[in-house]
Amino acid sequence: MSRKAILSIIICLMLISSGMFMGADKVSGAAKQTVTAAKVKSAPTGLDDPAWQKAKAVEVPFEGKEKFAGKKTAVITKAVYTDDGIYFKFDWKDATKSVTKGAWKFDGQKWSHQKGNEDRISILFEIERIDKFATKGCAVVCHVPAGKTAKDGKFGTTSAAEKGDLWHWKAARSDPAGFADDTWLTQISEEKGGRKSDAGKGGDQKNMTADKSKPMYMPAPGKKPAAGDVLLVAHVVEIKDYTGFKAGDTLTYRMPKMPEGSRADIKAISRHAGGGWSVILFRKLDTGHDDDVAFNPRKKFNFAMALFDDSGDEDSYDSEVLTLQFAR
Amino acid sequence: MDTLSEMLAMGDMMDRVKALRVPADALTWHRFSGSLLLVLLVLLFLSGAFMAFYYSPAPGAAYDSVDFALYTVPFGDVIRGVHYYGWNIFLIVLGLHLVRAFIVGAYKTPRQLMWVSGILTLLLIPALIITGDLLPWDQNGFWTTQVRISIIASVPVVGDFIVRLIQGGPLTGIVALTRFYVLHILFLPTLLIILIVIHFHFLKVRGLSEPLFKKDSRSKNISFFPQLVNRWLLLFLGVTLVLGVISWYWPAPLGDPADPTDSTFVPRPEWWVLFLNQLVTVFKGSLTVIGSVIIPGGLVVLLLALPFLDTSPDRHPARRKKVLLVAVVVAIILLGLSIMSYVEHFNGNHP
Repeated sequence: MSRKAILSIIICLMLISSGMFMGADKVSGAAKQTVTAAKVKSAPTGLDDPAWQKAKAVEVPFEGKEKFAGKKTAVITKAVYTDDGIYFKFDWKDATKSVTKGAWKFDGQKWSHQKGNEDRISILFEIERIDKFATKGCAVVCHVPAGKTAKDGKFGTTSAAEKGDLWHWKAARSDPAGFADDTWLTQISEEKGGRKSDAGKGGDQKNMTADKSKPMYMPAPGKKPAAGDVLLVAHVVEIKDYTGFKAGDTLTYRMPKMPEGSRADIKAISRHAGGGWSVILFRKLDTGHDDDVAFNPRKKFNFAMALFDDSGDEDSYDSEVLTLQFAR
Repeated sequence: MDTLSEMLAMGDMMDRVKALRVPADALTWHRFSGSLLLVLLVLLFLSGAFMAFYYSPAPGAAYDSVDFALYTVPFGDVIRGVHYYGWNIFLIVLGLHLVRAFIVGAYKTPRQLMWVSGILTLLLIPALIITGDLLPWDQNGFWTTQVRISIIASVPVVGDFIVRLIQGGPLTGIVALTRFYVLHILFLPTLLIILIVIHFHFLKVRGLSEPLFKKDSRSKNISFFPQLVNRWLLLFLGVTLVLGVISWYWPAPLGDPADPTDSTFVPRPEWWVLFLNQLVTVFKGSLTVIGSVIIPGGLVVLLLALPFLDTSPDRHPARRKKVLLVAVVVAIILLGLSIMSYVEHFNGNHP
């Protein structure tokens, strides 16, 4: 072997070994879970789509707060993306499907609200950087006044320059319409928190008469409750005759509206089976709306999640902050 | 071209450049590290200037300005990648350049000061990397700087003074960031250019070292312009392309925004500082100064003094076995320390 060849091999080996060290430097930093969105050619069309097999599942631990204090749970999280859309899949154990949300029940004489809330999952991203969100997560947007309880806490950022994008999947109030509620987070004021609905229409409508004593609407002829449980606003008619109801009949109290505009960006597909929820949330990478985070696949994003098991806002399971990155 | 040079009254200078002859092996496949360093330096200055257009040296804005330059400006992350990988490769190539000069005895008379200027340049690069690391104001840069500052502070007598000088106070805040920025884009590059000019001055006056193996090659000459310049431009294009592709597929990391209240973040040493980190780990407490000052300082003095210690005229490695043996032993120790540090920091044994 010539001297030139030997020298070339030595130089190559030195450069390769140096490159290994450089590569190793990239893993520096504290342990923080990362969800890597896998690139897929065609968008997943359902919960069992083979596209999900391309994504690496991350088991995200959650810790309970308030009535769930001391309890733990986990959400298996996956993400894939196409040229223009991003898709998340969340699986978590929940033995009971909770979609009651104060639904009406007739006892033969009067109507009353049933006990029970709904299951939910919410995900918070940054639209404009929220100070210390990357290290502290949702803790920096939850403000509980001194001496008050979590129920009195306000959810919002500390300055108008900080903006969050809050995806809120609600088993009773948004999922039956096939969406997650698209909201955003801005500065809290002294009077109220900083949660805002995205531009457009959406949310839900309370099904009750003016005196709040009974439901006002029932399914329109030929219309059935979505997913077998919940009435949509678009599928109801006003009740003209209450005599047709019999004891044990139930009617939805919080009826989801079909969202429009920026509020309709996040679509949802769900299933409760085998003692747990499986939920897909998906939307465009960049909706072009100011109240949405624009996902750039070359960039990393911080996000944190909260899980609600038939509970109100203060009773939740919270995750630590995570990183979302996009595989090439 | 001639008309333009006449208009600019640069005719004489152009004639001198055209008449300049350089050895044919001034830029060949086996002697290219010097030219490659010049290519990398130009790329570093260009990519650095691009980032300076968007950068805001204040803790509340620095991270967002870098984020904007990376992800909003077209190809911003590629240009930052060129800067990031450029420094690392610059350090590697400069090391190889000096290793080659050492092996072929290019530091010997009459090129002693070329060697000294090269070593001083090598010492300047870490200063540029250290000041540059803090600028994005991300977690890794911030906490790595804290570790480095604590090591500097451990230096007896002058440690605290140096820390206050570069940081402007006891904490790493807006004054520190401003000083690091000014050092990184103004003072240190100026010093680097001065050292390179000195290096080139000696290169022109003393010439390239004679090849050890091909005695006849030095008789061949080529023109500086356009032959050597064209070779250099070809190298420039090639390196730019390679760095651009690397940066496109493996973007330079930008961590989370710095959070000075987050004491859970554990920075890990970069590849080029692993052995120093291990020295500081080995020598603890009152002995820290041995690992942080005496041994590294001794090595620097040894490198600077090498041309004046090894004064024999022999350049061939076969006739300089003692010097080479000492160098190999030192290199093995440094490599061993680096491996120990790597294992400790990257295999989870480090707190």
